[in-house]
Amino acid sequence: MRFFNDYKKQILILLAVVFAISALITAGKKTKSSIFDNALGFIVTPLQSITTTVSGWFGDRISSFKDENDVYDENEELKAKVQLLETENKRLALYEDENAKLAKLLEISQKYPEYDTTATNIIGKDPGNWYNVFVINKGTKDGITADMVLTSAGGVVGKITEAGLTYSKAQSILDNRSSVAAMSLRTGDLGVVRGDYYLMNDGLCRMEYIDVESEIMKGDEIVTSHLSDIYPPGLTLGYVKEIVTDTNGLTKYAIIEPQVDFKHLATLLIITKSFDKATTGGE
Amino acid sequence: MQRRATIFAVLILNIVLQSTIVHSIQIRGIIPNTAIIVIVSMSLLRGSTEGAATGLIAGLLQDIFFGVSFGYYALFGMLLGFGVGKINKGFYRENYIMPVFVCSISTLAYESCIFLTGILFSGNTNYLYFLINLIIPEMVYNSILTILIYRVLFSINSVLEEKEKYKRKLFSIK
Repeated sequence: MRFFNDYKKQILILLAVVFAISALITAGKKTKSSIFDNALGFIVTPLQSITTTVSGWFGDRISSFKDENDVYDENEELKAKVQLLETENKRLALYEDENAKLAKLLEISQKYPEYDTTATNIIGKDPGNWYNVFVINKGTKDGITADMVLTSAGGVVGKITEAGLTYSKAQSILDNRSSVAAMSLRTGDLGVVRGDYYLMNDGLCRMEYIDVESEIMKGDEIVTSHLSDIYPPGLTLGYVKEIVTDTNGLTKYAIIEPQVDFKHLATLLIITKSFDKATTGGE
Repeated sequence: MQRRATIFAVLILNIVLQSTIVHSIQIRGIIPNTAIIVIVSMSLLRGSTEGAATGLIAGLLQDIFFGVSFGYYALFGMLLGFGVGKINKGFYRENYIMPVFVCSISTLAYESCIFLTGILFSGNTNYLYFLINLIIPEMVYNSILTILIYRVLFSINSVLEEKEKYKRKLFSIK
């Protein structure tokens, strides 16, 4: 203890340098948690689960006071929708069969393969205001590894950046550090969907590097493109809200309204089979 | 030992609450950074060494669960705790104006450092925008919460100091 008091400043400087170097070296490269991280995860993640469940329960009670009347109407509406979707589903199943047969005849592999998914819950969100990161309650124990894709309500939420034993860190597509190769479904124009600080709090993101001559327009559906190594092609990202031409006049960018409501996320689906280019690039 | 365990428990509780419940009291997407409040309060109450240790552990917890690199938040937390701890001897701890003032200045410094090291180089050079829309609202929010959290930590510290008083050796041989 005496030694510690005598060399207080030196120890501080040494630690500062060590942390600065380790922060620079490990930036973005850490995909698996250490034993130390997992040990802390055993303490923290159960507590986060409990707190999220409890606060979610109270949140539900409060909101159920508000819209008790709406529930009945909503139920009727959803019933009608289920019927509609069921008929459509049957029709699409027939198409799928037909498609499989034809694909077999033409000897091409499936472009949009089925994915194995597992459900998970968000148990904690970024404690700061700069980024959009969250913690989910599944980890390597459940076969989760880094770079798996998270979806919810038919839209992409983000990807896993680091997997611990019982928890994983994930980065949403609204985070400034995230970028996804994207495509307009209607016109086939390519671009990159990126998070943006200025739009993050409104729950929006932007699609950059769109060719100025492309015919992309408001309301177009944006999906993940086949150029991505991480995201499987054909997953919905969102819809175009606004199109702006860049100041250089060569490219456009679009403001995207994601399919997923990022303010009320709770349960997510993880696409567990890490996407492999070889399984899809059959043509 | 008891003190270390207590501070560790407080920091664990802080990261749990800050990542869950605190999100439900956000105003226009801005949440208060309670970690800064805890670091500042502990440094003001106990001096720079314990302040630096508190900041280091609080930062490490944030690094482990929400950071992309190891040591980033820990570095800033440690430096913040050390810096604030320097004025530990210069004021009355029962005073509430000082923690509130120091906390808002610390928030400004801490978040500006994050901006300078993490955000600026990704091409977002508009500091004024972040100052007005993110840092100042957070400063205000943190200052208000400081009154509450400083009060709680002050009581915890008083209990601990009361217990430690009887263990202290008056004539220890060095």
